[in-house]
Amino acid sequence: MKKYTLKRILTSFLTLLAILFVLFLLMQLMPGSPFNDEKLSSDQRELLYAKYGLDQPVIVQFFRYAANMLRGDLGVSYNISKNTPISQLIQTRLPISIGIGGAAVTIGAIVGLLLGLLAALKHDTIWDSLATIISVIGVSVPSYVFALALSYYFGFKLRWFPMLFSTKTLYASSVLPSISLSMFTMASIARFTRSEMLEVLGSEYMLLAESKGISGSALIFRHALRNALIPIITVLAPLVVDLMTGSLVVEKIFAIPGVGSLLVNAIQSNDYNVVIALSFIYSALYIGIMLVVDILYGVIDPRIRLAKEGD
Amino acid sequence: MKKRKAMLSITLAAAMMLSMGSVQVSAEEAEGAVLNVMIETAVESLDPQQATDGTSFEVIADYTDGLMQMDSDGAAVEALAESYEISEDGLTYTFHIREAYWSNGVQVTAADFVYAWQRAVDPDIASEYAYMLSDIGQIVNAEAIIAGEMDKSELGVTAVDDQTLEVQLNVPVSYFLSLMYFPTFYPVNQEFCESCGDTFGTSPDTVLSNGAFILTDYEPAATAFELVKNEDYWDADRVSLGGLSYQVIQDSQQALMSYQVGDLDITLVNGDQVEQVEDDPEFDSIGAGYLWYVSPNMDAVPELANLNIRMALTMAIDRESITADVLKDGSKATYTAVPMDFATGPDGSDYAEDQTRYSDVCTYDATLAAEYWQAGLEELGISELTLDMVVDSDDAPQKVAAVLKEQWETTLPGLTINLVVEPKKQRVQDMQDGNFELGLTRWGPDYADPMTYLGMWVTGNSNNYGLWSNEEYDAIIEECTTGDLCTDAEARWAALYDAEAIAMQEAVIFPLYTQCNAQMVSSSVTGIEFHAVALNRVYKNTVKTVE
Repeated sequence: MKKYTLKRILTSFLTLLAILFVLFLLMQLMPGSPFNDEKLSSDQRELLYAKYGLDQPVIVQFFRYAANMLRGDLGVSYNISKNTPISQLIQTRLPISIGIGGAAVTIGAIVGLLLGLLAALKHDTIWDSLATIISVIGVSVPSYVFALALSYYFGFKLRWFPMLFSTKTLYASSVLPSISLSMFTMASIARFTRSEMLEVLGSEYMLLAESKGISGSALIFRHALRNALIPIITVLAPLVVDLMTGSLVVEKIFAIPGVGSLLVNAIQSNDYNVVIALSFIYSALYIGIMLVVDILYGVIDPRIRLAKEGD
Repeated sequence: MKKRKAMLSITLAAAMMLSMGSVQVSAEEAEGAVLNVMIETAVESLDPQQATDGTSFEVIADYTDGLMQMDSDGAAVEALAESYEISEDGLTYTFHIREAYWSNGVQVTAADFVYAWQRAVDPDIASEYAYMLSDIGQIVNAEAIIAGEMDKSELGVTAVDDQTLEVQLNVPVSYFLSLMYFPTFYPVNQEFCESCGDTFGTSPDTVLSNGAFILTDYEPAATAFELVKNEDYWDADRVSLGGLSYQVIQDSQQALMSYQVGDLDITLVNGDQVEQVEDDPEFDSIGAGYLWYVSPNMDAVPELANLNIRMALTMAIDRESITADVLKDGSKATYTAVPMDFATGPDGSDYAEDQTRYSDVCTYDATLAAEYWQAGLEELGISELTLDMVVDSDDAPQKVAAVLKEQWETTLPGLTINLVVEPKKQRVQDMQDGNFELGLTRWGPDYADPMTYLGMWVTGNSNNYGLWSNEEYDAIIEECTTGDLCTDAEARWAALYDAEAIAMQEAVIFPLYTQCNAQMVSSSVTGIEFHAVALNRVYKNTVKTVE
């Protein structure tokens, strides 16, 4: 297991380096440049290129950037927030995105699991149909529709929650965005839980367990749900990264100062350093979570652990 | 079951608390009436010499005064300058600085201006608005310093003593005083700025105030931040607001709803929402200064070098229909190369007040347009023409471009327009590189003089995208910027009209409209001053009555 984990970590590191290089090349292909204001003369633009080292060959820029990155320096923003170190920009925004995304995943996973369980256990009843309808709506309706609808009814009409995010009313103003974001997770988890549970419940070992006299919650939670969880975790992992890295549209609607809106603004204004830094962090998070998932498989299913140890 | 429900809600609450734990609450409640202001984009920079966007300028001016400020009509009146003298030849300006203090208790001196202006032209800082000191302000040696040919200490600005600032100009600049309220010219305290190093202007601790408000809560690219009244401001008696609370809202529906529930005192409204609110007495439309126009590339496209073709294109545009049916935000159809409501002449009237001045060459006349079109096609020996037009990927420009395409193709037989939609930065680059046929673009005034527009069409100017060149035009502009007309305001004004007439007769640009912003301002608020130049909104005289 140790050897396997080490190998995975090394591969992840190499993947990240490759990603950084590709990101760098992609920036060169992006139309426009960070300094294309109609007020900017060509002489002044050259000065700015020289100031930020953008007049150097791409390969020189790449190695300089990689070296700085190893020292923890992600560079400065060119135009979203001029000359602000990107680490400073991300520092204040990442916790907010992780916070709201984390709440959304938690709500989505728990409610989804319960819905899925309900549907599977009450198979072919009105409960099953209800749970299915809810999950189909959750999967097919985009989160910004929920965001606008929730904001209109609970923010504007009923005034239960603030319409805009604010650090002053942190918890109250996080409710609507968290719920809007949780709908997709909830629906996906509910669907998977339902189908996995139905499959497991119909399997022979469940019959065996039942015939051995195990019943009630022990049967469901220890034997059925545990086996159903593996595919669910596979689905959940990328959802976690998606949500934690901030939703572009929901952040825009609720004026949340998260990393999602930062990335969109950075792409729109060709703020190379911000785009590279954020994309790199996303990749790192994604690869990190996939690594954790792989290891988690082993914890849940001894067969996988044993198979990997045999590698 | 009840127990389970309770467990579930506790788990949910705990999960939210845990995941949100790392976010800190940092804002404090301000005393007095706080004005809640909506902005569309975040502040890009609080460094007065690096900022270039309207939002940054507005916020910097909230807490910083320059030598001059704008009165409610936009005229330059004294701010940190208690008085000033202009030498007879118009080349030397002497400003006497009043007793005023930075928020760290240090007095504002002439040295603060010298330091700031040297920063503005310093090639290491690479300020985008350095040209305000060189080309526009004509300050001695500014151009050579920007080009790296001279040390910044040679800039023509000196601190004669702590309270006296002397500025040397190459030529008389009639609008020089009005530049003094432009944030690039605002003072910076050298000792403080250097003590902040790279962090200057990134937090309330790394900016100093000498103005009406003090920044209390701000992070780079913040979506919400606050200022409170500066009790030590030299003109504090004039300021009635207790503070300002800014909120960045990009979604226009959320902005309007927030306004309607009373969370905002002022908000922008987009064209689609206007019908919903236009009967509301709190609805208003305010000039934003930008002139939108189409630039034909006369250099690269032989067909566009034909005057008849250009005349046909500009005459086939129904500008009223664009502003009334498409934009609906109060934007004004414009028939002049210099837009309305930003430059006032020696006689006190608006430069572009008379919109019929060039009606023989710029008006909507479908019949005449078709005649010009036929004449042009015959001269070129062609029967049809396809032109590409580059346009920003933003909502409003795309809508306008779609209507232009329709109007042109309907009125001018044989014409096909292809719209090339690009992100703004790419569109600007394509136009600067001459890689376009027609371009839908805009220009906002930098200072309150028609030259901010007319200077663009001079041979070789970087904004003369179509590479138009006319000796007579160049000569008039030269005479008005560095020649004898600099000292004769009335003759200069008349000459500027002559120059504009040439540009219009040659159809160098097809002016479309002067942009207005539709907005809601709460009836409990009075005295927000709106300007088309430099500072779009000023709150020093704003009063908010709290019930």
